[in-house]
Amino acid sequence: MILPVGSFDKQNLIFKANDSQGNELPKSDTLLKNNLSTRTRIAMDKFTKAFTVYPARGLKGSINSDFYEFLTMGTVPYVVGSLTLMSVFNSAAKHFEAFAQSSAYKIGNKMALGVVFYALAKSLSKSLVNLPVKWATGIDTQLPYLKVNHQLPESKDDFDLTSYEYHKVGESVEFTRWDLLYGDPNKKGELNKIYDKIAKRNGLGTNLNDSDQAVKPVYKEVLVKSTLARSISSYLWAAAGVCLAAQKPWETYFNVATGKFWDTKNFNHSLKVFGESFVESAKEFYNPKNPKNILEKYSGKGVLALAVLSTVIGVLNTLNISKKPSKVSEKDVMDKNKESVVG
Amino acid sequence: MRTNLIQSYMQNNTQAVQQYHSDNVRKNFDVKKELSNRTFIKPLPSNGHLVKNTLFDYPSEFFRVIKDNNKALVHAVKGKANDNELGKLNDLGMKLGGLTIATYLFSRKFAPLAKSMEFVGLVSFFAAMDLWPKLALQLPAYLIHGFDIRQQYRDNYGIKKPVFQDHQFIPWDLYSDEEINKIGDRLRVPKDMKNRRDFIQEKMRKIALQNNTMWMLTAGFATPIMSALICEGLSGPIHNYQDRKLNKKANALLSNFNNEIAKYDFSEKNKALETLLEENKGKTITSELFGQISKTLSKGMDSITASEIAKDLKDVIMQQRGYNISRETFENMSKSLKDVFKGIPENEMNEFIPNADEIISKLDDGKKGVIVSGEMLTNQREFSSFVKVFEDAIDEKLNAFEEANQGNKNVKKARFLADEMFDGMNDGKSGLNKFFKATPTSVLTDSSIQTIKDVNKTLNTFHARQRVLNKYAYLKSAQAQETYLANTWNSILDGDMLKTLNITDKEIKNTRMDSKLVNELLREKFEAIVADDAKYNAVMDKIIEKLNFLEERTKFAQYDKYNPDEKNSYKTYIDTTFDEASGELKSKQMYNTARRLTGYDVQNGVDSHTLKDLQLSFVQDRVRGVKSSFYRLLNTLDFFKRVSDKEHLDSMYEYKYTDAAGNLLKHVQFTRQIKEEMIEMSKQLLLGGHSSDYAVKFFFLRNPELNPDNLTDEQRRILFSDIKTDMGKVVNEFYGKQAFEKLADNPHDRIFYDSAMRLMYTDQLSAKTKGKIENSMFFKNFEQYRQELFSYLGGDEYFTKKNHKVVGGNANSTTEFRFQLLGSAVDDMFTKLFNQKYNGKTWLKMFGGFGAGLLGLTILSQFFMGKMPKDKIVKENK
Repeated sequence: MILPVGSFDKQNLIFKANDSQGNELPKSDTLLKNNLSTRTRIAMDKFTKAFTVYPARGLKGSINSDFYEFLTMGTVPYVVGSLTLMSVFNSAAKHFEAFAQSSAYKIGNKMALGVVFYALAKSLSKSLVNLPVKWATGIDTQLPYLKVNHQLPESKDDFDLTSYEYHKVGESVEFTRWDLLYGDPNKKGELNKIYDKIAKRNGLGTNLNDSDQAVKPVYKEVLVKSTLARSISSYLWAAAGVCLAAQKPWETYFNVATGKFWDTKNFNHSLKVFGESFVESAKEFYNPKNPKNILEKYSGKGVLALAVLSTVIGVLNTLNISKKPSKVSEKDVMDKNKESVVG
Repeated sequence: MRTNLIQSYMQNNTQAVQQYHSDNVRKNFDVKKELSNRTFIKPLPSNGHLVKNTLFDYPSEFFRVIKDNNKALVHAVKGKANDNELGKLNDLGMKLGGLTIATYLFSRKFAPLAKSMEFVGLVSFFAAMDLWPKLALQLPAYLIHGFDIRQQYRDNYGIKKPVFQDHQFIPWDLYSDEEINKIGDRLRVPKDMKNRRDFIQEKMRKIALQNNTMWMLTAGFATPIMSALICEGLSGPIHNYQDRKLNKKANALLSNFNNEIAKYDFSEKNKALETLLEENKGKTITSELFGQISKTLSKGMDSITASEIAKDLKDVIMQQRGYNISRETFENMSKSLKDVFKGIPENEMNEFIPNADEIISKLDDGKKGVIVSGEMLTNQREFSSFVKVFEDAIDEKLNAFEEANQGNKNVKKARFLADEMFDGMNDGKSGLNKFFKATPTSVLTDSSIQTIKDVNKTLNTFHARQRVLNKYAYLKSAQAQETYLANTWNSILDGDMLKTLNITDKEIKNTRMDSKLVNELLREKFEAIVADDAKYNAVMDKIIEKLNFLEERTKFAQYDKYNPDEKNSYKTYIDTTFDEASGELKSKQMYNTARRLTGYDVQNGVDSHTLKDLQLSFVQDRVRGVKSSFYRLLNTLDFFKRVSDKEHLDSMYEYKYTDAAGNLLKHVQFTRQIKEEMIEMSKQLLLGGHSSDYAVKFFFLRNPELNPDNLTDEQRRILFSDIKTDMGKVVNEFYGKQAFEKLADNPHDRIFYDSAMRLMYTDQLSAKTKGKIENSMFFKNFEQYRQELFSYLGGDEYFTKKNHKVVGGNANSTTEFRFQLLGSAVDDMFTKLFNQKYNGKTWLKMFGGFGAGLLGLTILSQFFMGKMPKDKIVKENK
């Protein structure tokens, strides 16, 4: 889900990670700060490219088109599919006679709202896992970095082709970018600074000689378990979003809904009714009036309980870290100071 | 010897490492051999291979996917999963979320088809997601380029992946030279080319990448549309299946009637009643206890029956309606005055309040004797004498006190308060009532308890049976979506009806918004059909087929509700259910309840306004409405045909009225003007008349000048000439020729009304219609419909056109009955059908068209894929 961006200028269109001066493009992969601003810009960049640069390259069959671009293009069917789904339920209705039209719109609007709520709930609910995990373990599973790709020339006119991709340190549990978590080896105490912090937070000890080695298994376990928690719970929250949108009280909102924000009076009224309908729908979802059977009476509560439980269990499972520091005894570890030959 | 890390890696079978081991790799790997020949660092022998599944592999693949997903889940929970497994879990989450949505929406829908479609929608969505790339990309690409762009392979660790997933890492070594060359031939790569394999690989990579991109660009449009189209396609077969299932379910209710009854559990109710009765055995039946018993006994019954049960119960278990009065009653009365005189100083208050003995002493000797001897006055219903003595006793005390304490204000106050208390007695508001009604004389005796239990047993059996019957009636004919009757209606009024009447999509589009336009269109169509015998016969055949189908599917409602020997099983079960219950209730003196169930005389038919009649009528009423609608269509077509052929229009020509002996009392011959008016009105009414039009005896603007003077002979000849028809239409000589403002409705011409009704409903059917339908299943019913409509609607009285009643008509009918008898107006029926068809077609055209276009475009795009720069070929050829 793309968060609204107030303004961005041409300079920011190609996002630069460490460009306080706005000139230098990074030469190598660079860790980024995980804050709203970065996330928004990354989302914006990926969204734009998913609809423009990447499809163009893919259709051309470019040698430089890679798996990242393919995955990023996954946004296209997601967004287009959402709009098509809304359209499937709404577009034909304008040709219907009044009564059928109003019935069709009632269903269609709820469906459209369901699509929006699906995306919102899926996106926002991920924080329900990410934040507690981050607070409890100090591990930011969503930590982004900028990847610098030096590409192959596609024609004789091409030289020094560089592309920038936005990845996450922990996006692969097999190829986690541990290297980016190390600090400057030349500064005392900087090298393992991030690992030290995580080790301390997880009770692995302080002033460790090799906090990185102690932390990596824990880090990896947290990545795996939190990914599981996110994968399952986010879809269940999304489902709860769709179910919430399917409630009758939304019809009140659809009657006054307007996107014309310049018509302040009506727009404000529409927002107010949105709030009221939201509250009423939430009530109806949780505790339906005049349920016709037990299934109907408890199904809303069931969906919510499923979403909440999947999040809570997922987070608790993530925080239940089983990995301990390596048990390899001192004598089995190669002495780094001695010369050794491999192969 | 000191081990190094590599040895440690191989020897320590740590959990983190284990998951990357492939058994085969381990089996073939010999550390010592590898170390001794000093070729340690080299790629491990590859175990990867392309996956070539045939159709027969799908079942095993299916179970393998489930197994892999389970494994992935277990690994992930333990924190040991790899990237591939985590990817699988994302898909699992998506399906789980989808299933949650479908289950929730399922719980909120009530029609079976809508319920099923939630799951069909979910499955079709995932199916569409999977099918679209296969159908629109994989298959055309294979046919055009000769290789599978979605080829899968298993890597060393047994993980299945698409070969062309990541274009920077394609495992080309999995393709043999032979395979690649074969693909190259299909791709028309020159055979004598240098580095042919590289060139082919690059071409394949390009094609696969372009296809993957196309997949991403098209899937968003294709998936929802394809899913919707799948749902649209499946809804018909699913609906048919559910219709058969529903009918079976309904019939099974009756064929397993006794088993079905047993499913209703009354143990909770019985237990509650038992406890209530046991706890209060021998106690007086207070109004509270009575309320509890009657409420428990009539649990689940409708409110009218429940109140009848209460009424009966009162007669049966409370034969002594009065109350017991004892010494305690007077003591309580005396005590109660403390509350009444609240605010008066206690010492004075004590002087004002008579004690029980003082009150009792005022009673007449008979009553006093009983109370004083310690006995009770039983079954008392009248309390005024007791109120009187209470009043007197208080008065006496107050008078005595006032005499002793002249000018004491509290006496006046006490007198006022006492008066207020007694005033309340008259309207039942006084608290005194509760002392008198404290102990009812009737007690809950053993025999009362037994009676209540017996009645309860009867009511339980009745209730269970009634619920099964209700369920049956609902499934068969309730006014709800997807009942057996609703499905029947939809099956008859389907697209082929439009085809039969030769109605085009364009006509539907132009008229559907307004039933008046539909009316005009139908009139044109009907007139065209009746003008051509071949067309008329074809339409008749179709309508006969449909009406036979209707007859077949509504047999369940064909019973004579007044015939005790009727064999229809629904009717038989109703008889058993109601008559048995009624008989048993009567034997327990529950007469009101029995009357509510079956009326006064069960033996001689059915009393209306009873539950039994309601149960019998419900199904028949619903079916009547449906049948009448289609009979009306048939009658309308027949009328158009009669007009076109000028056949059996007897009532249009003349009106004859005879007395009982057959003497002609009145004979009127109609002018051509009236004939034309009558036909026009009848056509309009048959096509579009509603029950209100029939109720007001038709409002129709006619020429008020019925018999104009000063006509020439020629004009007179024309005035009394016959009507002319051409191509199914009447060629009007008079109708429509007068200025509109000169026309008027004639509320006095009852003959015109009577004749029009006869023309529409009692004049003989056209020979062509009759010839077609007289051997059909519905002919008798159709004849009866025409007769009933004439009789009941024609016999109905309307206050402003009091005389407008057909001769021999029957006015004894309800509005609802007349409404059902008239059925749906033909134009309304078709307007709904038009809209339904138009909406469906519009949607299908819009999205089916878009889907087809997208599919075409996607397939077409294959021909532009894999184009290699010319210079590259030349360069490679050098």
